[in-house]
Amino acid sequence: MSVSPDSATAVRTVADAVSEPLLSVRGLRVSVADGTEVVRGVDLDVPRGSAVGLVGESGSGKTLTCRAVLGLLPAGVEVTGGRISLGDTELTALPAARRARLRGTHLAAVFQDPASYLNPSITVGAQLAEVLRVKVGLARRAARERAVELLHAMGLRRPEHVYAQYPFELSGGMLQRVLIAMAITAEPELLIADEATTALDVTVQAEVLELLSELCRDRGLTLMVVSHDLAVIAQLCETVYVFRDGAVVEEGPTRRVLRGPRHPYTRELIRDHERFGIDRVREQGSRR
Amino acid sequence: MTTLVARSVAALGRALLIAVPVLLVSTFITFMLGGLTDQDPASVVLGDSATPADVARMREVFGLDRPLLARYALWLWDALHGDLGASWFTRIPVARSIAERLPVSLSVAAGALLIAVVLGGVFGVLAAVRQGGRLDRAVTVVTSVLATVPGFVAAIALITVFSLLVPVLPSGGWAPASDGLPTWASFLVLPCVALSLDAAADVARQLRTGLADTLHENYVVGARVRGLPGWRIVLVHALRNGAGPAVAVLGMHVPRLIGGAVIVETVFALPGIGELTKTAALGGDVPVVQGALLVTIGVVLVSSALVNVLLVKLRPAARREI
Amino acid sequence: MRTVTDALRTRAGAIAAAVLAAVLLLAAIGPFLAPYDPLRNGADILMPPSAAHWFGTDYLGRDVLSRVLAGAPASVLTAFEAVGIGLVIGVVPGITSVHLGRAYEWITLRVMDGLIALPFLIFAIAVAALLGNAVHQAMIAVGILLAPSFYRITRAAALSHANAQYVTAAQLFGASTWRVLRTHVWSKILPTLVVSTANATAGGLLIVSSLTFLGIGVVPPEPTWGGIVASDLGYLTQRPYGPVFPSLFIMATVGALNLLADAIRDAGGDHGRARTRGRGGAARVRLT
Repeated sequence: MSVSPDSATAVRTVADAVSEPLLSVRGLRVSVADGTEVVRGVDLDVPRGSAVGLVGESGSGKTLTCRAVLGLLPAGVEVTGGRISLGDTELTALPAARRARLRGTHLAAVFQDPASYLNPSITVGAQLAEVLRVKVGLARRAARERAVELLHAMGLRRPEHVYAQYPFELSGGMLQRVLIAMAITAEPELLIADEATTALDVTVQAEVLELLSELCRDRGLTLMVVSHDLAVIAQLCETVYVFRDGAVVEEGPTRRVLRGPRHPYTRELIRDHERFGIDRVREQGSRR
Repeated sequence: MTTLVARSVAALGRALLIAVPVLLVSTFITFMLGGLTDQDPASVVLGDSATPADVARMREVFGLDRPLLARYALWLWDALHGDLGASWFTRIPVARSIAERLPVSLSVAAGALLIAVVLGGVFGVLAAVRQGGRLDRAVTVVTSVLATVPGFVAAIALITVFSLLVPVLPSGGWAPASDGLPTWASFLVLPCVALSLDAAADVARQLRTGLADTLHENYVVGARVRGLPGWRIVLVHALRNGAGPAVAVLGMHVPRLIGGAVIVETVFALPGIGELTKTAALGGDVPVVQGALLVTIGVVLVSSALVNVLLVKLRPAARREI
Repeated sequence: MRTVTDALRTRAGAIAAAVLAAVLLLAAIGPFLAPYDPLRNGADILMPPSAAHWFGTDYLGRDVLSRVLAGAPASVLTAFEAVGIGLVIGVVPGITSVHLGRAYEWITLRVMDGLIALPFLIFAIAVAALLGNAVHQAMIAVGILLAPSFYRITRAAALSHANAQYVTAAQLFGASTWRVLRTHVWSKILPTLVVSTANATAGGLLIVSSLTFLGIGVVPPEPTWGGIVASDLGYLTQRPYGPVFPSLFIMATVGALNLLADAIRDAGGDHGRARTRGRGGAARVRLT
């Protein structure tokens, strides 16, 4: 089951020819204030309408890569090299205020621990309506109606009721649906899901993943999925990038990487996964 | 909207209900003062030449022949009906003297509260947003220095600067609002500022700390991911959660704004309730002191109930913590 | 108390301690250092500072430096008396409220709530004046006003340690409630208490200076720092800098106490503060 490096390159070239990548990262470097480099020259492409996975253990730089794309690196961490372009826009060159305007309308994100990403003192509905008012420009009443519709579309039962709840009154799965609603409400092209299903129950996780792939299919959303869980990546993504120590060690079609991992680290990752039912993962991978 | 008002009224009612035992305890302490002192209207008013029979009759007139607890119950009962008794000396009803002076004290306290909120709010927010910057460090230094300045020194410093060196405002006195708003305000500005400095410094400091902590929370990152503008994130999302300690501190300052007004009233020669209490206490006029304390305690309790309602409104999640 | 010695080794702590030592020395021997009789009137009234009168003279021709020195004991030691009273009234119920049953707890809570509602300075004035307008009466009133904050602090600390494992363990080994209180809880509360005592002494000093400014507690012509400012009040046009001298003494003492409290808190890693920092840190962005 060995695939030559040439054929992987060939696959990429074909993909590039078929569709211009929506997101293109070239030579991205990110450093902490003390000079330590935590992302060391990452290249990645996310074709329009596709779903791309970033996998690796914690500390491998996958989340910081996403943060750099969003322009929201933590204090004391900054981009020290490389380019990030979204469509025709070169992001790294933009001033902070311009990038803030792109968030929500062009790219959006959901994270692990949804409860902490919502203001604990404002009802979830009001927070969703706020995005609709500020980013979409709807009037107060229209924003409210649209918010309830969106909550319904996210598969939340009794959306009117959910609208008036505070974050601490909802479950993790419901909150993640609310956050996904907020993320897609201004119709971004790219949605980053960073460990978005990690802390959820297995069944809830499956439902949220289902919701994400539906959105991908129905709304033409481009997905970038970050996870340490190969099963999640296998279920959603056509392409996968394996991260280790701030660099990409392997990339390619998910099925190919799962069946014939070339880098020792990828093999190790897959072996670790076998304990958690990698056969199922392989099957799903091959079914695609 | 009406349910919102109704709910706020209900919450305020609950908060006031909690205040009932507090009111009983604090007024009892206040009333006991009169019992502990050797001041007695008979000897105070009649002087040393009074015969024992005169003293006994006088005690009866003032109801002092009854046991202390019975007198407390009666006093509180009358007070709840608006009767605070009469001065031992002038026989003027205490309620009337207080009613004349309360507007002065309340205007000064309210003005000081407003200034404290505005100054403390603006500088606290700016310091938190520009953490570690020049303004942040300046705010830290100024608030630390202000914390060491006694109220009377601040008042005198203001008089020296704005009445003597650059004479733009009167150094003291009072004009009712009916004399025209500019005149009224000109007498009010310096006392209010002097009284507010301490509270403003505390509010700024608490707001800075509270906001700085909140600005690191994930939901602030969440709001930025949604692409909301920076001012909106600070003023709507962070402030709401970070203002709690500052509001609580403001609540703690309310008794000081009302009780501490006596200093400002002395320096600026304002006819306020603090001045009334001080004069009465020094003269041994127990009913006036008791009445004035009762009214100020009432004002304090109402305002801290309002603060508690505001705190729950700000952070509904805090309901679970209570 | 390692915390305190650590605090004294920092620059701020050392400065604060030096200023405090100087003030305490002044309180002990100030009256003997006075170059003139602080109560003797002179012909040279309202003089500016000179070699003969460093701080000038007041409206009765009294030497201001002598009055400041002679006023030190009544201005400083009184505050310590008030804090001592506040400590006794606040700390004992604060600790015991956690351990001596619900009824006792309820009563102490209500009494302290009642004390908090007392309108600060006016109450102190009323007590002091009605009880005979002398120093100790005034300090009892100030002590009562300071008590609730001591009660709250010790109660909170006692509560957080009451259910700690070492307390449970001690109780399992058969230690009596009093023994647990004395040996375990008390030693944990002490650092917090030292910090709040320093802060309360600063507050007490401010209240005492305000009372003496109003002529409550210590009656003129007996000199106090607050009283000296009061006697300058009517002569601001002639001597606008008059209040500066006694005020600087008050501010330096209060500032040193606050600075010392901060230094001890920083050195000891005050539990409350450490916890909020920790919480902020945990909620901060995960790096990968």
